[in-house]
This record gives sequence, C-alpha cells and structure tokens, in this order.
Amino acid sequence: MEVKDLIRVLDAEVLCGEDFLGQEIIDFGASDLLSDILAYSKDNYVLLTGLTSSQVVRTAELTGAIAIVFVRGKLPPQEAIGLAKSHHIPLLKTDNLMFASCRKIAEELKKEEKNK
Amino acid sequence: MSTDYSQEKLTLVNELIYQIKVKEAMSKKVIFFKENVTFREIQLKLKEKKISGVPILDKERNIIGIVSIDDVITAFDKGYVDKKITDYMSRDVITIPQNFSVVSAINRLEKFKVGRLPVTESLDSKKIVGIITLSDILNRLLVVVQSIAEKVQDKEVNNTQISHDLIKRVERKPLRFEVKGDDFDSAGRVASITKKYFQNLGISKDIIRRIAIVCYEAEMNICLHSLGGSMIIEVNRNNAVIYAHDKGPGIPDVKLALKPGFTTASEKIRALGFGAGMGLPNIKRYADKLEIKSSLKTGTELKAIINLGVRNEIK
Repeated sequence: MEVKDLIRVLDAEVLCGEDFLGQEIIDFGASDLLSDILAYSKDNYVLLTGLTSSQVVRTAELTGAIAIVFVRGKLPPQEAIGLAKSHHIPLLKTDNLMFASCRKIAEELKKEEKNK
Repeated sequence: MSTDYSQEKLTLVNELIYQIKVKEAMSKKVIFFKENVTFREIQLKLKEKKISGVPILDKERNIIGIVSIDDVITAFDKGYVDKKITDYMSRDVITIPQNFSVVSAINRLEKFKVGRLPVTESLDSKKIVGIITLSDILNRLLVVVQSIAEKVQDKEVNNTQISHDLIKRVERKPLRFEVKGDDFDSAGRVASITKKYFQNLGISKDIIRRIAIVCYEAEMNICLHSLGGSMIIEVNRNNAVIYAHDKGPGIPDVKLALKPGFTTASEKIRALGFGAGMGLPNIKRYADKLEIKSSLKTGTELKAIINLGVRNEIK
C-alpha cells in the first residue's frame, strides 16, 4: 500500500506534502502515546494518532515515519504543519475514529493480500 | 545519590523467554494415541520413540487425557497393563495455548511437575497442534541467540565503509545545546539536528534511529521535568556519547524513575502524549550504556553511550 491509497481508504484530506505520497508503506503505528511510538515503531511506517501537537511531527521525523494521519477530524496547529513541510512528511486528516481507521486499513491490507 | 545502572541490564535470555512464543519452540510432530489402546501398546511406543509420555486425542485431535511412563509403571504394578487405558488415564491434562510465551510454559512445567505440555490451538480450544518440553525451549533459545550473534557480526562488517577520517574529525567538535525548561514547542530540536549530523557521517540507519530517540527522550526530560539545562553530543572513538545535564530539581529515586510506567508528569504533559513513564526506560532500551547521577541539590546528569558499529582500527 502506498501513502496515497490512504486518501481513498480513509476518505482522508491531504494537509501538506502532496509531493511525497508515492512511498510504499512497510508498517502502521496507531497510538496517542508518543513514548510508545518511540519504543516500538519501524522505519517507513505511517503514524495514526489523535494528538495534534508539533511533538507528533517531531516524533514521526525522528522515528522515520513517511506520513501522519490525524484521526477524529482533528486539525494540527500551523507550527506542526510547517514542521512537517520542512521535513517532507505528508499530513493527512480523516473523520474516522481511531478504531474505524485501523479496521479500514486492515481490511484493505487483507484485500491486497488476496489479490496477490 | 549516585548510581550506575549499566550493570543492571536484563540478560538476553531473560528477555527472550518473554518474546519467544510456544508456537515457535514446540514440536509440531505429536506422537499420540486414541483412547482404545492398552498400557502395553503405549509402553512399547514410549520405548521405541524414547519419550516419557503421550497425549490421548479424540477423532478431532482434541485432547482427552495423557499417559506418562509413571502411569505405565503403576499399571504394571497393579496388574492392569493389558487393559484399555480409558478407565485409568489421567484426564486432568495441563496444556498451554500456542500463543503464550515460553516463560509461561516453563512456569507450568515447574508448577505441575510435568515433563511435557500438549499445546492447544488457542486458550479456549482443546485441539492439539504440538507438544513442548524443556529441551524444545532450550533448543529454540539457542537458535535465536545464534541468529542474533550472526546479525551483530553482519552489522560490524557492513559498517566498515564509514570513513575513519571523518569520525576522527568530528571527534574534536562536539555539538552543544542549551535546553530550556517548560518549553514544549522547541523540544525535539536537539534530537532533529543530532539526527542530521549523524546522517552526514554515514552511520547505519538503525543506529541513527537509536541515537535520535535517546536524544529526544533526554531532551524531553529536561523540557518537561527540569528548570532547564544543556546537552552535549560528541563522538568518542567508536561511540556517540550523549550528555544531558539539568539544573534541578533532581530525581529523588532514580531506580523508581527507570521503572516502565512510573511517572510524575502533569496533566499538561500527558495531553502532549508524553508522561507515560517510558522516557528513561526507552533511553535504557536504546543505549548501550547508561549512567544517571542525580542529586536534589545540583540536578541530574545523564550520560548515554551508543556504539557506532565502526570497527576499531589500530592507531
């Protein structure tokens, strides 16, 4: 799955980083605890979170995330968007709740598996 | 108060027995019997296969009992060795689900004083998918330890192309930063710059990631919990050394602060997604060596060392 597929799967809006949506996703991490993300994430993963502070973008950058999805329709502050732009990390926003977002991604992954 | 916690690291095996699942360690080939056999038939099989017990399964491979060598001896003793096992076998069978970690298997083997555990498909299933003994667990442990050792070796080989001249040059120029207390917005700046710095040195991705996370957590600690301080990041021979000093108020109990989940964070900090009590434990997890000195008078000094994986050259 590529980052741009998330737009369709989660009915998501791209807030910034349109030029970097073509990357292949290796893994997903869903958490509102940045410490957990720091402890367990893998390179080239997509971070799903309900947090919107600039620290989310910092954490994503430092752990090698290739995109952030803000769930529950939350909008990050301008500083966070600015920081993401400078580090080339696309930000996406979806109205889906965290659980629904994860479920939809899981369904999509299953579909991909079948089509292989 | 001053303590060096680097000696306290969990041993590898201790960590592994929590990580390895029963499924990975068990033997999938299960020698078993249906209910309609005699003790003598089982005794012959035990002898032939050099095993000390077999599970008794029904048509669907659900477990209904177990017969051990002890049960066979008792049968000889009491004279029912040629009778069908149905009325005599133990029906209270201790099993273990395949998704449990091997530490649970070890505990059950010890607690119930049995030599083997039939492995069930899941917690609420009686279907047998394997069998596990202490020697299966040991075998698996050895295999995992060996593969870890091989990975470390590969890494050392891969990293030799890093320029030694470059490392020598940066050895003399440490990075220095002021870190303000209670300044959430710029927190992460040090870690970000440090990451770029090591990227330019051509260090492997995995090691850069560990350096970045250690820096970030240490930086966050100064921002969240102290009156401010400073950080120095330097390259010393083969190591990245991260110093984080703050002006106080100090950690009353360092041992407690290193416990995963222990936190003194305020609501404000938690709202940012931090303060889950994972900061110091995360640093400990990613650093090769960690020293923390803390005093309620002079503040906290943290020193974390991460090996860069460059092979030592004779100078």
